[in-house]
Amino acid sequence: MALASSMSRASHVMTYRLIGVTTILAVWEAAGASGLFFRGVLPSSILIAKSFWRLMGDPVFWGHFGVTFFEIATGFGIGSVLGVAAGLMLGMNRYTGKVFEPVVEYLAATPKVVFLPILLILFGIGVGSKISLAALSCFFPMSLSLAAGVRAINPMFLRVGQTLNLTLLQRIAMIYLPALIPPLSTGLRLGFGIATVGALLSEIKLSNKGLGHAAMQAYARFDIPTMLAILIIIFALAGMGNYLIGSLVKLPGPDSSRRIKSPS
Amino acid sequence: MMSNNPTLRISSVSKHFETGKGRVTAVDNVSLDIKQGEFISIIGPSGCGKSTLMNMIGGLITEYDGKVLLEGKQVRGCQPDIGMVFQEESTFPWRTAIENVAFPLEAAGVPKDKRLARAHELLDLVGLTGFENHFPSELSGGMRQRIAIARTLAFQPRILLMDEPFAALDEQTRLLLGDKVVQIQQQLEQTTLLITHNIAEAVQLSDRVLIMTFRPGRIKRVVDINLPRPRSSEMMGSEKFSSYVAEIWADLRTEASKGLKESEAAAAH
Repeated sequence: MALASSMSRASHVMTYRLIGVTTILAVWEAAGASGLFFRGVLPSSILIAKSFWRLMGDPVFWGHFGVTFFEIATGFGIGSVLGVAAGLMLGMNRYTGKVFEPVVEYLAATPKVVFLPILLILFGIGVGSKISLAALSCFFPMSLSLAAGVRAINPMFLRVGQTLNLTLLQRIAMIYLPALIPPLSTGLRLGFGIATVGALLSEIKLSNKGLGHAAMQAYARFDIPTMLAILIIIFALAGMGNYLIGSLVKLPGPDSSRRIKSPS
Repeated sequence: MMSNNPTLRISSVSKHFETGKGRVTAVDNVSLDIKQGEFISIIGPSGCGKSTLMNMIGGLITEYDGKVLLEGKQVRGCQPDIGMVFQEESTFPWRTAIENVAFPLEAAGVPKDKRLARAHELLDLVGLTGFENHFPSELSGGMRQRIAIARTLAFQPRILLMDEPFAALDEQTRLLLGDKVVQIQQQLEQTTLLITHNIAEAVQLSDRVLIMTFRPGRIKRVVDINLPRPRSSEMMGSEKFSSYVAEIWADLRTEASKGLKESEAAAAH
């Protein structure tokens, strides 16, 4: 009964989503055909789809894709490892938290693109400046959400560990890590999104490779369908990354299949 | 059965805290002997230092005056022979019921099949057979607290300390859970020290009830509860039960009023 009703709810959700997507496409086509905008600014979705298929078979495009993927992955990797380490230090020690957290918070609110000139001087216009901006961007949400997560751990969990005389390693592995998975997952997803922004923003500003660069080239040629197809691919890349993190980094819970068989 | 030598001896234990307004004595010169298999309740108004006392015995507070002796040996700090159950939610939400109960055994390196078999027994003991694979969020507050009790019993501690374990539960659940605890305690002959502010609960469960004074926390009186065992919450209607409750309340009332007056005075400032 409950299963059936939740399944029908899920199918309703799908229906509404389809209606939403169809509406957006219809509005897009109508606006493009209405003549209210310059010709070609809102190309038909069929033209975009054609460009998309052409790109799929274009090795030059895949070269750009590979560069951007590498930049985001590396930047995200470096930024989140450093962010997790900094977050643990801010959250676990009251004094480092008091001294450094306001600084981290102010910097977190600053658009990281202002650092781009410095990064360009330091790392050049190649992938170095893109990776560093991506890493810098995702460092802040990572460290802040981890620090908040450490402080939000139910003190009773730690007290249980204390009464059992757990070693530091046991406390980290059996209490801190599982308790930190929800904020870690949030931080990783935020960080991934913002690392993508960092990498693409610096590609658009100044570069000779990458999806951002390819999109700007298409823009310069006024090849709007290709530009939009690239943008859709970027959306898909960001969405997939977000989805993967969300489904990989999560705790066992009532929804999970990780229930152990009891010996009986 | 009960031997005459105390299992746990609390000898002239005191605890002072330094606060902004000066030195506050939370626990003042408390001494107490607990025999093997005994069920003792400590009852007192809020702020009488009963939780502080429990944290000293349990080893969460290590800086204090006096001594705590377990089977003649002085203890300071946490150790497996003294298990603690808290009032607050302490089950791990990412572990199933059986994994929660097996937690201490896992930390001690007991092999998986052995620790799950043991956790199974313990869940059965607290009446949660059939809920092994449920996560805490799928269970009621009373069930979660039984998981916490089962987890604490995993190592069969010599002393079971419980700090208001039923305080967050509704009255009916509390009574039924009290029956369960009495039954388990009798079955295991588990030496138990319960902190509570509920008089009926103290009478329902205990061999002896210690009444503590409001700050500084001292033992004001010890009341022996001579109700027959096995006990259950059905005895609450009996005349003897009511007379114990009335007797304890008469003593507790003055202490509780002191506490109330102080907190009202603090609120007025």
